[in-house]
Amino acid sequence: MPFQLLRGCGRAKVVALCLAVTMLGCACSSASGVQSSGVIAAVGAENEYANVIGQIGGRYVEVTAVLSNPNTDPHSFEASPSVAAELSAAQLIVQNGVGYDTFMSTIEAASPNPKRKVIDVQKTLGLPDSTPNPHLWYNPDTMPAVAKAITRDLSGLDPARAPYFRANLANFDRSLKPWLQAIARFKAAHPHTPVASTEPVADYMLEAAGTDNATPWALQADIMNGVDPAPEDITLQDSLFTGHKVKVFLYNEQVADSITQSFLELAKKNGIPVVGVYETMPTPGYDYQTWMLAEVRALARAVANKVSTEQL
Amino acid sequence: MTTVGAILNGIFEPGFFTSGPVRVALVVGGAVSLVSAVVGVFTVVRGQSFAGHSLGDLGTTGGSGAFLVGANPLWGFVTFAIIGAGAMELFGARRPRGRDMATGIVLGAGLGIAALFLYLGTTESNTTGATITILFGSIFVIHASMIPVFALLSGLALAIVGLLYRPLLLSAVSQDIASARGVPVRAVGILYLLAMAVAVSLSCVTIGAILSTAVLIGPAAAALRMTKRPGLAIAWAAVIGLAVTWLGILLAYDSYYWPPAGRGWPVSFFVVALILVVYLLADLASREKARRAGAQGVASRKFPTGTAGRTQPSLPPVLGAE
Repeated sequence: MPFQLLRGCGRAKVVALCLAVTMLGCACSSASGVQSSGVIAAVGAENEYANVIGQIGGRYVEVTAVLSNPNTDPHSFEASPSVAAELSAAQLIVQNGVGYDTFMSTIEAASPNPKRKVIDVQKTLGLPDSTPNPHLWYNPDTMPAVAKAITRDLSGLDPARAPYFRANLANFDRSLKPWLQAIARFKAAHPHTPVASTEPVADYMLEAAGTDNATPWALQADIMNGVDPAPEDITLQDSLFTGHKVKVFLYNEQVADSITQSFLELAKKNGIPVVGVYETMPTPGYDYQTWMLAEVRALARAVANKVSTEQL
Repeated sequence: MTTVGAILNGIFEPGFFTSGPVRVALVVGGAVSLVSAVVGVFTVVRGQSFAGHSLGDLGTTGGSGAFLVGANPLWGFVTFAIIGAGAMELFGARRPRGRDMATGIVLGAGLGIAALFLYLGTTESNTTGATITILFGSIFVIHASMIPVFALLSGLALAIVGLLYRPLLLSAVSQDIASARGVPVRAVGILYLLAMAVAVSLSCVTIGAILSTAVLIGPAAAALRMTKRPGLAIAWAAVIGLAVTWLGILLAYDSYYWPPAGRGWPVSFFVVALILVVYLLADLASREKARRAGAQGVASRKFPTGTAGRTQPSLPPVLGAE
């Protein structure tokens, strides 16, 4: 808006105005691009992406997250006008893709901005639209690639700070190591652990940890999409608990309904430990790395000591 | 013996009778379809199909509200259907011409609130799939502990129409005659709306709010095509309702083995499709019967005689045939 107001003015006047505005304490970044003193406005569609933007951008970004309420199901989220305003002002956006947050693309298309950089995690990873499981952040390969893309785009927006962003990237990559090591340790100590889940949120991590998810994909997809599962699948899932065929039950705290609750009851009744998994980063107290590490540790505790971690 | 076994295995795919969700669905679905069919005969005869449909839609408000606060959706459906029935009655259900308008206005307001509840539910709380569950039902995810509740509510609705059997039929024929004979027409109407509200909210949970009309009206309409005697029509409606629901559950179970493999089709689809088929067949049969009767020169049954004097009252021709 300020840019449009200023468009007719001479360059000198713009500079003068910007100076005046800056002196008033307002960063003029949205009007005239990023200044070395300015702060980059960034948005993460899900708070785990926002968290990583914040870790790379440090004090030179102001980052907000669209989805961060641990009680909502992002699959059925509807965007509000305030979200649209945030997105149209943003210079860097990170979104998941794979149909998980389609509303982001819709809003971006409605407020075009050639200078805005959009990182679509699906595209960054080169995944096809037909990828069945959209919960990419549980995949150990995802965040290093995303963090790299964030570093590249932030450096493009503010070249003077590029060394700072690169240093943060190196720190971030280093800080992922404990999580990756925990996954490797789990895989070595408990190979082919049979597990059950409500829906596929943590499937990428379960795969990396070498577990065998006994819950049929159709049931996971039905619960994720909020449609009625087939009775055959419900019976099969019930038998996983009553027959003690699985060592741990991964329960998505954000995608729950009457059927997931009855699975939860049955799992507890049969002494199957439960581990809570999430669509968005549980806050406060976690960043992306510590959240992921906590999930693997909870998984290991469940399998080794039969201890439930229903909520992180 | 083995061929019979093979055929039976083809009809009932493995695990049908031992599956927990199927057993609950057969019991609950059976009770609900029975009640809906019986109550539905009166709904059709009294010309209150629109009110019946609206009660289901109003149940949506309650169902979505229940999701929002984390209660069992059945209680939401029942509460709001009863409130809706009361509101319809209050806003002019007495005058037949004002009835549809009052129903429509209450319906619109209810659906608006449902839209708000669903928005809040999906953006502020944890309610995956609430919209689809409310609109299209979830017969396979009903908890076995809810069976007594379903049985109790079914019994309540059946008791009301059983006790009011004659006054209900009489006031359907003519409100004036009924009043003249000392029938408290308004009280009967209110109690009937209550029974309909309970029946509709039960079918909202099993088959879905927007499809509940089908199980309310469908079996009753087909039965009234076959006979005009109310007792027989009720019996036929009950049989049809029970048959389509159980067959629908069986087909939904078997459809797990149809393409796309491992993704059973919804029960609601099968039940509603079967109702349409049964209605079309009943309609065809009744036309054929009328045509043959006409060809043989038998007096047309358009004007049944002696309605008042017979122990088994016949339904008014217009309501029964149309």
